Amino acid sequence: MSQNLFIRNSVVIRDSRVWRDGELIFKNETETTLSKFLKAIYKHQNLKYPKFFKMDSLSKLGYLGAEILINGEIQDKNTALVFSNSASSLETDEAYAQTMQDFPSPALFVYTLPNIMLGEISIRHQLRSENVFFVSREFDASLYIDYSKALFQEKKADNVLCGWVDLHNNDYDVFLWQIARSGGIDFNEEELKKLYLPTHE
Amino acid sequence: MRGVAVTGMGLVSAIGNNIVEAHTSLKNGKEGISLPEILKTGLKDLPVGEIKLSNSDISNILQLPDDHSYTRAALIGTLAIKELLSNSGFDNFPEDTGFISGTSIGGIDKTEEHFHNYKDHPEYRKYIQAQHPGFTTEKIAEYFGLKEVVTTISTACSSSANAIMMGARMIESGKLKRVIVGGSDCLTKFTLNGFNSLKILSDQKSKPFDNDRNGLNLGEAAAYIMLEARELIGDKKILGRVSGFGNANDAFHQTASSENGEGAYLAISQAIKKAKLSASEIDFINAHGTGTRNNDLSESVALKRIFGDTVPDFSSTKAFTGHTLGAAGAVEAIFSLLAIQNAEIYPNLNFNSEMAETGLVPVTEFQKKEIRTVLSNSFGFGGNCTSLIFQKDE
Repeated sequence: MSQNLFIRNSVVIRDSRVWRDGELIFKNETETTLSKFLKAIYKHQNLKYPKFFKMDSLSKLGYLGAEILINGEIQDKNTALVFSNSASSLETDEAYAQTMQDFPSPALFVYTLPNIMLGEISIRHQLRSENVFFVSREFDASLYIDYSKALFQEKKADNVLCGWVDLHNNDYDVFLWQIARSGGIDFNEEELKKLYLPTHE
Repeated sequence: MRGVAVTGMGLVSAIGNNIVEAHTSLKNGKEGISLPEILKTGLKDLPVGEIKLSNSDISNILQLPDDHSYTRAALIGTLAIKELLSNSGFDNFPEDTGFISGTSIGGIDKTEEHFHNYKDHPEYRKYIQAQHPGFTTEKIAEYFGLKEVVTTISTACSSSANAIMMGARMIESGKLKRVIVGGSDCLTKFTLNGFNSLKILSDQKSKPFDNDRNGLNLGEAAAYIMLEARELIGDKKILGRVSGFGNANDAFHQTASSENGEGAYLAISQAIKKAKLSASEIDFINAHGTGTRNNDLSESVALKRIFGDTVPDFSSTKAFTGHTLGAAGAVEAIFSLLAIQNAEIYPNLNFNSEMAETGLVPVTEFQKKEIRTVLSNSFGFGGNCTSLIFQKDE
């Protein structure tokens, strides 16, 4: 049974910039560290969520992307989360492993799993819905399409929040979008790739 | 008959290198908790559930070449599936056999061992890619020539329970006819130090559900079961059926469970609904019961929410094996199936007094009792809660 699904909105965080629905909404003018950039987005968005400061960088990227994407609250508590990346939680795994030589850090250890990011987003929005985190070599549009379509077909969700949130050696690449049965851009591989890697003007 | 048939199983854990040994230990209340001998760690005083076979012992049993690149999880995983193969009635697994393996740690053991040698010793660089959890799964698949769907699930301590759920769903939907599901995790310095830093490891043998419980013991294990579609069964012996499963996020904390056990409550509810049972039809619960202050209370609260004042017989077998993380769901699936086949309940060891908050008392002695339906819980970091239901084939 075929069905029409649509990309409702999207967010990209890349190269010290943040885009919402293709529009540049925030830019760090000066060269800075990742943690300062993340804090600058938090301030710019006027967010009030102290748990943010305890998160590792991967979770911060996922949390910030989700906040900007949904602009406040996730209304539909049955929203499914379909996430993926390439480097898993390797950045934090390495940081935690470093502390093992001295005093192993509990604050880092709890983030040595990629599904913690899904946990953080679920905690923030009180979601007890379907969630999945894939590790794939590169951004795989068809993976999201197949999995999301199945969720709609099986009536597991009416809204799906998808995300590619990758972080390794301080290189980050974030792309989030929502899919629903109406509104926005057609949900297919071509449109998704266009949003993920827009051609430069 | 509802549910997906289980037609084979294999297990390596601290209480035995095969099913018969583990079953004997369970019946005799003989746990496998010791101080670490094979894992080289500075944390020498923390009890663990260690498999007393070195990597070279297992390599010899499996007749691997000297230059192999199997991680410890791959070694024990292969050993467990070798047992499964021997009792599944096949000489070799047929080509249409899928393989879904859960693991939390993957090949971190090899990174710990060789990281500082990579620069000067190219011969160790084969282990760089072994860090990826999928590598461990691929090595096991390679050993048995498994070429159908081969995939890895890593959702911390619910990994192999989720692998069983995924396999059952793939059989139900007709995507696979036959699939090996389960998981493998070994002890590492990474996890021992990590759990210790969270202050949830006990310096004694763990006491699940006891009022004075003070933490868990880590363990290592590999456990796999074979699921087969109806049309392949023929006159094969069915060990039990996977009839229910549910998964939900607790949405509370990165590593701790909520006070009202919401994630557990939702997972158990979904599993019971999926199996088309009522709560009163559950004969026995193999609890997650890690022995931490937090888990056992949260899980008890969830059980009371589901079952009210008539919580069925329950026990945690983690005092036998230690908490085997990603493998725990599959280890306990096998214990649940053994309970069903042999009409037995295995005891919750080291229990003295009930929790003040809930007053729940687990089964503390080995018992003979008809068991038709078992609920098995596995809850993981990130709030990932999974419940499975196993039923007698009848």
